[in-house]
Amino acid sequence: MEKNKKPVKASTVLIYVFFCLMMVLYLAPLAWIALTSVKDRAEIYKSPFGWPTEFHWENYVIAWTKGKLGIAMLNSLIVCVVTLILTLIIGSMAAFAIARMKWKLSGAAMIYILIGMMIPVHCVLIPLFVRFAGWHLNNNLIGLILPYLTFSLPTCVFIMSGFFRSIPNELLESACMDGCSIYQIFFSICFPLARTGLFVTGLMTFIGNWNELLLALVFMSDGNKKTLPVALTKFVTPYQTNYHFMFPAIVIAIIPTIIVYCLFSNQIVDGLTTGAVKG
Amino acid sequence: MDKLLRDKKAIILFVAPALVLFTAILFVPIGTSFYYALCDYDKKTMTYNFIGLGNFVRLSKDPDMAIALKNSLFFLVFSCVSQLIFGLLFAALLTNINKGRNLFKNVIYLPCVLSSAALGLLWAFLFHAKVGINNVLGAMGLPQPAWLYSTAGFITLPMWVIAFVALWQYVGQSMMLYMAQISGISKSLYEASYIDGASKVQAFRYITLPLVKPMIGTAMSLNAIGSLKFFDLIYSMLGDKTENLKMDVLATYLYRTGFSSKGGNHYGRASAIGVILVVLCLLATAIINKLFKSENYEM
Repeated sequence: MEKNKKPVKASTVLIYVFFCLMMVLYLAPLAWIALTSVKDRAEIYKSPFGWPTEFHWENYVIAWTKGKLGIAMLNSLIVCVVTLILTLIIGSMAAFAIARMKWKLSGAAMIYILIGMMIPVHCVLIPLFVRFAGWHLNNNLIGLILPYLTFSLPTCVFIMSGFFRSIPNELLESACMDGCSIYQIFFSICFPLARTGLFVTGLMTFIGNWNELLLALVFMSDGNKKTLPVALTKFVTPYQTNYHFMFPAIVIAIIPTIIVYCLFSNQIVDGLTTGAVKG
Repeated sequence: MDKLLRDKKAIILFVAPALVLFTAILFVPIGTSFYYALCDYDKKTMTYNFIGLGNFVRLSKDPDMAIALKNSLFFLVFSCVSQLIFGLLFAALLTNINKGRNLFKNVIYLPCVLSSAALGLLWAFLFHAKVGINNVLGAMGLPQPAWLYSTAGFITLPMWVIAFVALWQYVGQSMMLYMAQISGISKSLYEASYIDGASKVQAFRYITLPLVKPMIGTAMSLNAIGSLKFFDLIYSMLGDKTENLKMDVLATYLYRTGFSSKGGNHYGRASAIGVILVVLCLLATAIINKLFKSENYEM
């Protein structure tokens, strides 16, 4: 058998060299931060780019306890998980009604919700803060969940309505023949069928809210209610910066997203792209 | 079947939670924000006194506001142009190779999903005045610029540094959008052009570019809105220094006017900045859509 081997072109080699350099540019800072996180204070200043002479794992313990990262991570987890579940339920209910049910204002409702994609959170920051302070929702995790939920809904409705539209009509009709109510059709047939969409939307919602800083910074001034990004910024103060605690804290903060990303990178990339294109 | 799908009660039950949330958390506050922008907030009595356009007049004479606006517009232009060039370049190059394409794509996209606050702290250390990159430059006997402290120039050095960090972090997003569009272009178009003797560069210029144009509009308006909203990186890289070194952007200035301990709680003025921000967002989107509006070709 003859093997048809194509000659490797110079341009292809150049492209590979270019992207290998890019890999270094993207991965080196992350690798460097992991190495620096186990150096002690003197070594960080003396040789910031060298291999650590000694591995100070206790840095992590100190960062975790002193920076209150434990409670911050718990807060972040509670806020993100609750937001995630509520977004998926409320968002897909609305998406189902808009995509599959027949009513006059469904188009208008979709536009109303999609406008939310265009509005920056800054614009509602002050009224929300004033309102929530009145309702004692500041320094309360619910006060963070509500706006996160609202700002996650447009993407969810947009993606899920696409999934619900692709469910064949015959399926719904046969369910109807068998005597399903509309609620059963949604909760036992359409909702489980759209789990790919739910998964993608869920990942995006989680990551977006996990990283959110501005709202959390404004709403959570109490030390025990801070989320992870807010806790991180507190490592740098005008008076001193404890780099040997800051680096472990950064590692702790980004490790969960890196793990999630490595596991599901293809779904995340696809989801974020479809979510961003909005029709 | 039809009767089931027209069930009014079910429709209301399904849609109501989302619409109520939207109205209460988004649209009513927007209205309130526009009202607050016309008011002066009195901290002692916690009341809002209607002063018409007073806040806007004050902001127009405020030198800090001018700096914030200048920096925000710089980020807007820089991110639109640089993300277009690099995003398209990466996408065009990546669609030309097969092996390792997914790996490269996923790694370049990685910073987009990481916390800007965390990455900002990392880069702030690398650009520290004495340690980090300057440590290496010093060892090689090169000048050590004050990356994040310099205040010289129309656009100060820290702004350039942060703009490049933002490009590093978010170029993956634009790249993904362009890649999605390019991989949708039919292979036969390229084959036909190669038969006609077109080079790869010509194929890019006359086939890829026109067919990607609708996506340029989408990606660029996303960049524009993103760069106007820009807060996390600046806040974590510069912290409270924005105030002393005149390195605000609109978002940090809004935060400082409304909530910082030193800036005081000028809710009225901060709302006015918010209104300006929204108007800029809408304006930028409208202009970009006008510039890149083109008919969708059949592909």
